[in-house]
Amino acid sequence: MRLRVLTVWLALALPAALGAQALTPRDSALHALNRLAYGPRPGEVDSVARVGVMRWIEQQMAFERLPDVLLAEREHDFKLLDYDREELAQRYGEALRQRREMQREMARSGDTTRPRGAGPMRELRELGGDLQQLAVVRAVLSERQLREVMVDFWANHFNVFVGKGADRFLTPSYIEETIRPNALGRFEDLLIATAKSPAMLFYLDNAQSVAPGSSPPGPLSALRRGGTQRRVPTGINENYARELLELHTLGVDGGYTQQDIIAVARIFTGWSIDRPQRGAGFAFHEWAHDRGEKQALGVRFQGGGMEEGVRLLKLLASQHATMHHVSRKLCARFVSDDPPDGCVDAAVDAWHRSSGDIRAVLRAIFTSPDFWAPQALRAKVKTPLEFVVSAVRAAGAAPDSTLRLAQVVSRLGQPLYLQPAPTGYPETQAQWVNSGALLGRMNAAVALAAGRLPGASVDLDDVVAATADHALLVDAVNARLLSGTMSAHTRAVILAQLADVNDPVQARTIAVGLALGGPEFQRQ
Amino acid sequence: MTISRRVFVKSGGLALFSLGLDPLFLARAALASNRLSAQPPDRPVLVCLFQRGAVDGLNMIVPHGDPLYYRERPRIAIPAKDLVDLDGHFGLHPSLAPLKSLWDNKSLAAIHAVGSPDSTRSHFDAQDYMESGTPGLKSTSDGWLNRYCRHDQEHADTAFRAVAFGPQLPRILAGTSPALAIDDLQAFGLRVPQEGARDKLTRAFEELYDGAATGLLASSSQEGFAAIQVLKRVNPAQYQPANGAAYPPGRFGRSMLQIAQLIKAGVGLEIAFADLGGWDTHINQGSSEGQLAARLRELGVGLAAFAQDLGEGMRNVVVLTMSEFGRTIAENGNSGTDHGHATAMLALGGPVNGGKVLGRWPGLDPASRFEGRDVAVTTDFRDLFGEILARHLGAPDLGAVFPGFSPSPQRFPGAIRV
Repeated sequence: MRLRVLTVWLALALPAALGAQALTPRDSALHALNRLAYGPRPGEVDSVARVGVMRWIEQQMAFERLPDVLLAEREHDFKLLDYDREELAQRYGEALRQRREMQREMARSGDTTRPRGAGPMRELRELGGDLQQLAVVRAVLSERQLREVMVDFWANHFNVFVGKGADRFLTPSYIEETIRPNALGRFEDLLIATAKSPAMLFYLDNAQSVAPGSSPPGPLSALRRGGTQRRVPTGINENYARELLELHTLGVDGGYTQQDIIAVARIFTGWSIDRPQRGAGFAFHEWAHDRGEKQALGVRFQGGGMEEGVRLLKLLASQHATMHHVSRKLCARFVSDDPPDGCVDAAVDAWHRSSGDIRAVLRAIFTSPDFWAPQALRAKVKTPLEFVVSAVRAAGAAPDSTLRLAQVVSRLGQPLYLQPAPTGYPETQAQWVNSGALLGRMNAAVALAAGRLPGASVDLDDVVAATADHALLVDAVNARLLSGTMSAHTRAVILAQLADVNDPVQARTIAVGLALGGPEFQRQ
Repeated sequence: MTISRRVFVKSGGLALFSLGLDPLFLARAALASNRLSAQPPDRPVLVCLFQRGAVDGLNMIVPHGDPLYYRERPRIAIPAKDLVDLDGHFGLHPSLAPLKSLWDNKSLAAIHAVGSPDSTRSHFDAQDYMESGTPGLKSTSDGWLNRYCRHDQEHADTAFRAVAFGPQLPRILAGTSPALAIDDLQAFGLRVPQEGARDKLTRAFEELYDGAATGLLASSSQEGFAAIQVLKRVNPAQYQPANGAAYPPGRFGRSMLQIAQLIKAGVGLEIAFADLGGWDTHINQGSSEGQLAARLRELGVGLAAFAQDLGEGMRNVVVLTMSEFGRTIAENGNSGTDHGHATAMLALGGPVNGGKVLGRWPGLDPASRFEGRDVAVTTDFRDLFGEILARHLGAPDLGAVFPGFSPSPQRFPGAIRV
């Protein structure tokens, strides 16, 4: 009920907020589809304009009520989703054993040519491919577009690197159980979930961080300590503490010191992971925890225990610096690379009022005048993921369930879950725009138009009819694929290129390739 | 001509910004239109290699003459019997043995205890500072290699003057001077089988971007199309390394091979950049064998192959390795090392004052450590980078490359022979 009232209020308030520079319903629908979604599918700008853009935004926010049948069916293709963390851990263990055996075999025979390996190693590789492709398929097919955009945003904000050891099998459950259920929830819950996630604990080494001088109880571990391997850690590791403050919450200028980092690291000693044989779930190791007094961010922590860490995370989630740092990053994603203070302040305000309800923060951004300002339209260059997914959607193409489309995204510079640095990928264009990457995009566009893009099947007949009338053809490409954004110059260049092309199907291929590879489609 | 363009950019930039044309684009476009296709003369080349993740300088260039080294690293120190001794005090990690002949012929030097005056132990910040060249200042928008290119326009005449190997242009080359990011020379350009059709499509895209693109999209596409023209001549698919050089498999080896190829092709390459990761060895770093050893082997084999492939051509080339910081002197509880401060860098090439470990060695004594735990910085990285720019590339104005800092010849570590 309250929601409906709010929606009506928003629908009424929006034109007023825009003042004299009001966008047409189609303009605002396209803008919303570019930012809150991975671009429009053919005809979608009109359907959103008909519904009313603010109503569509509210529908996207309340994603639980949007049916997503097509995607649900498609997810059955992904074996990855049939396995829980324990089962994946088991397969990882089997793959490691197989690799060790192979290495022994290689050492014995002196044969250094690396066989690709069938069985467990191959299965693990395929599951890794599933993980990347699932992200692409969801982005293309889901009706719950804003949720997919936010899953991508948070997975990048709380980056983990799937190439690091145990994260090969921990990342799938990180995405499914840690990020996805919290993507539009409360920031504090998301922060705590990431802190407890085995993937993050392993990625930033907190699983190995123990109070100096501590050692695990029991004869077994004593035996292991005395053994040749000495795998038992013997000191604190600051890695997670540092990135938690610098990247996840306060931001690099958030006013903390090296002493704070050490205190935070001590608070998190003992936050660790069970052994893979036992499922590799979160485990708090009492024996590894530093029970001494700590002083972090001006607050005293006494008595120790796991609750100390939770208390610290709640404290961090409620800091103004955190609200500002994360809000600004959200605005850089949704508004512009260097977002105006207005939308950032509005987001911070909403964060304060709602105690970090992510929907409330997003609503503040989507209703801010900065979001709808003319200079925000098409101000952002698409990331490789956004480019590939939006092109596939614009052409009405269907992604298959193999790894190939995700590999296209990788080649354009954004291998998913494979950013080693905890910063994740930047939200700004300077990262993505360079001559090599642009040529890669042109190639992908031409391949998609010709039906040769790996991993995507396209039937342009459903989108633009092939016709010998080139002017008609280019107008249809503009209307259906570029939502009317084609410049007069682009139109003229495409027409000139078609001048000596007689085959209508070939003409259509060229026109669509140039349109999707051209400058207009690189922006959103 | 350049000056009048710059004045135009300066005065017109602000007004045009509101039209969606940003000054960065204008500056790049001005430079791009200034290029000639003439073959440049035999010019000096600088190859920068970034070891991302903070290499353990103490296990790369090992101070084996210092007993503290072995005391602090009971599990991961390199045993003296495995080392390649350099001067009785320092030795090469055994994985770098392929570089020993270059040390012996005085074209390889190590610079120890080099780093940033900023104390950050964040990879992100420290890499950012090393690439922007302004430690402690986050707001610098461009990289120091790009600023060098901008302030030394004598050579701004080819699309291949500054090339980064990788899918993205790194921070160090970001800025208003044109620079190319190339993932693979052979795949650079539009992939259409027939040459005629390829040329036609290339021209169409060139026109599209020429007329309808703004900002970085415009300047980057322009750089790309200019490069396609040059590469057509070079024909990278036909390349064979010389002198039996064997590059290591993988991305780094391929980058080194393609840098060698561009140098030999005489396309005007002056600055090349590549990076290699995997140095953040918090856990199970290994000693003579293991994680770090494997990464160093790839580096050593790659550098040795590069020097062999170029042969005589190394007389004009300097290869410089860099890394954002070093690692703790003491090993940690996980048989690894944590984020530290100073590290070691390598300089290789004909102009290098080789066969020496340069820089003032502060020792491992607790009293001389940085914050009681790390190797102290005795050479500011800007003094090393500045020396190479000035004495190797002939940079006229280091103040413009490193704003707020004046590299001084008195402080240069002496990496380049004078």
